[in-house]
Amino acid sequence: MSCEPEKVTALVDGALPGRERDRLAAHLADCSGCREQAEAERAVHERLRLLTLPEMPPGLDTRLRARLAERRPSPSGRFAVFALPLAAALLLALWARGLAPVVAWELSHDHAHCYGYAEPPARVRSADPAVVSGWFSGQGTPMPNLPAQVGDTRLFGARYCYLPDISAVPHVYYTGGSRPLSIFVLPHAARFDDGYRTLSGGRAVALLHVDHTVVGVVGENAADVDTAVQRLRADPETRRALVVAQALIP
Amino acid sequence: MPHARSLYGTALRLTRNPQDAEDLLQETLLRAYRGFASYRPGTNVRAWLFTILHRVRTDVLRKRGRSPQTTELADDGPAVNPEHESRLTAGNEDVQRALAEVPEVFRSALVLRDIEEFSYEEIAGILGVPVGTVMSRIHRGRAHLRRLLAGRTP
Repeated sequence: MSCEPEKVTALVDGALPGRERDRLAAHLADCSGCREQAEAERAVHERLRLLTLPEMPPGLDTRLRARLAERRPSPSGRFAVFALPLAAALLLALWARGLAPVVAWELSHDHAHCYGYAEPPARVRSADPAVVSGWFSGQGTPMPNLPAQVGDTRLFGARYCYLPDISAVPHVYYTGGSRPLSIFVLPHAARFDDGYRTLSGGRAVALLHVDHTVVGVVGENAADVDTAVQRLRADPETRRALVVAQALIP
Repeated sequence: MPHARSLYGTALRLTRNPQDAEDLLQETLLRAYRGFASYRPGTNVRAWLFTILHRVRTDVLRKRGRSPQTTELADDGPAVNPEHESRLTAGNEDVQRALAEVPEVFRSALVLRDIEEFSYEEIAGILGVPVGTVMSRIHRGRAHLRRLLAGRTP
């Protein structure tokens, strides 16, 4: 067989199908020119792979955040305490390490806090998923097609809540049934095993992966949370929205 | 933003200019916000963001009356003498500089493959070209880079 330099490139990149790969590998055994090409390409690949990623210019991150989330609400109330640098750094470290029990406790606490009012302090109040999604989109977090109903609870509204990583976390309220329910979209930095479940503060908490996204569900008992988890896993539109929201949450 | 830094790195390698890279990154993120409905569930969200970045870049070049496809190597030429290449002790900076000199049509494929480590299929989707074209561009990009690193005029 004659030399096929472009195929050698694909061989180096592991991009050839099995039979072609074997055929070309056999050719390489006999052809020093193609062998040298393969070695040289591997060397180039390795040198490029090891290049250091350029640093973002100072202030760019801030400028991007400002541009993308101009209307993002500012921290207030009890979460303002986490703006203290030391506490923030400590809690951020806990989040980054993915301490599921800590996060579960925070979500449970936030659920109780919001449902502790006569009615939850929604910034957008509607039973229509399109209205709630539209509000989040307007705030810079795309999140359409929330379920209108989970179990016997109905969508009530939503707001951003401030959790210890200091980012705004969408908190969606479901009420009207016997027991209230919360759905949170967690920041990308939160890394947990799929299907983590616990009881925290007397409430059931589940952390689940919906595609590449981490979602927290808090309910008054495990059965309610199970129903919500099944609902979230089943709906492709919800899954799509959650993945994108998480990739872009500033 | 979890993907901002690697998007910025690629933007900088494409534009070779921090201000253009910043504009490209910003426009990419804004377009992703507005166009989230184009994301297909179950696919790689990172590849989706890089696809947007390359579309924005193509649009910018088109507005300026250029196309990344118009720059071609005059001659693919013979392979670099491996002896010459093995004597090279170029550090990080030399590789960066050489990469910046590779024509953008090949450079973009090289960056996606060798730095961002996307598969040929993913790169085909990102650049909107057939897999065979991806293979060809990576091949020619590496050949170009090898010549540059060996100190020859490409």
